[in-house]
Amino acid sequence: MLGFAALAVFGGVLVSLSRQLNGRLSLSTSALHSSYWNHIVGLVFITIIGAALGGLFAGDPWGAPWWAYLGGPIGFIFIAASSWSITRIGAAQTALLIIAGQMISGVIVDVALGTAGNTMARMIGVTLILAGMVIARTNPKKTLDKTTQTD
Amino acid sequence: MSTAPSPRVIDFLGAFATGGLLTLMVWFNGTLAVTGSLLFASWVPHVTGSILAIAVLLFLRPTKASTVRAPWWAYLGGVSGAVTVVVTSFTMSTPLAISGTIALGLGGQMIFSLAADKWGIMGLPQRDPTWRDMAALTLILTGSIILIYFGGA
Repeated sequence: MLGFAALAVFGGVLVSLSRQLNGRLSLSTSALHSSYWNHIVGLVFITIIGAALGGLFAGDPWGAPWWAYLGGPIGFIFIAASSWSITRIGAAQTALLIIAGQMISGVIVDVALGTAGNTMARMIGVTLILAGMVIARTNPKKTLDKTTQTD
Repeated sequence: MSTAPSPRVIDFLGAFATGGLLTLMVWFNGTLAVTGSLLFASWVPHVTGSILAIAVLLFLRPTKASTVRAPWWAYLGGVSGAVTVVVTSFTMSTPLAISGTIALGLGGQMIFSLAADKWGIMGLPQRDPTWRDMAALTLILTGSIILIYFGGA
C-alpha cells in the first residue's frame, strides 16, 4: 500500500516536472511552441507504448459521444497557458492556482449537472480554496504598492 | 538564473482559468475511457491536440523568444506527461482509487513545485517560497482534500 501511495505521489511529481520542462522550453521558444512539442513528443511516445503493450484500441474506442474526442484542442491551450504561467508566477503558485481552478470548476460542473454531493463539504472546500487564493495573491514585497492591493 | 517578473492579476486569473480547462479535459478524456482503453483516452487528445498545434504554428507563426536552442531535455515534457497517464491509471486501479490518486498527486505536485522554485531547477526563475505561499498551500490543499473525500455523495 505504501508503494502504491509513493507511486501516486510520483504521478504528481511528473505533472510538475512536465510543466517545468514545457516552461523551460517556452523561455527559448514560445508558449505555443512548447505546447506543440509537448503534444508531438507525447503522441510519438504513447503510440510507441501502445504498439509495445497492445490494447490501444481495446473495447469500443469509437463508441464515445463525438465531443469526447475534442479534449485535444483544450489540452493544447492548457499546456500553452501553463507554460505562460510558470515562467511568470513560478511553479508553486501555478500549481496552486491550477489546482484551485480545477477543484472549483469541478464543483460548478457537478452542481450544474445535478450530481449528488454533500453541499456543506462543497461550500467549506470552495471557501478554503478561495481564502488560499486571496492569501497567495497578497504579495508581501508589494505591500507599499497600493495598485496591487485592489483584489 | 534570473528573478521572476512581478506577478500581475491577469497571470493569477489566467492560471486559475487554466485549472478550469483541466476539468473539461478530465471530463472529455474520461468519457473516452468509458468505452475505450485508458491509453486510448490519452492517445486521442494527443492526436487532436497535435492537429491544432500544427495549424497554430502554420497560421499564427509565433515568434521565438530566443535564437539559442533550448536544451534537449526541455523537449521531454510530453514524455513526462504521458508517463503520468500510465502511473495514475495504475494507481487508480489499486485500493487508492481515484480520490487517493488525486490527493497524493496534489501533494507530490506541490512538493516538487516548491523545490523547483526554491532552487530554480530546470532553468526556471528562482523564487523563494514565503510563509504566505505556505499558508495558501495549506488552505488550498485542505479545501481540495475536503472536496475529494467529502464533496461527493
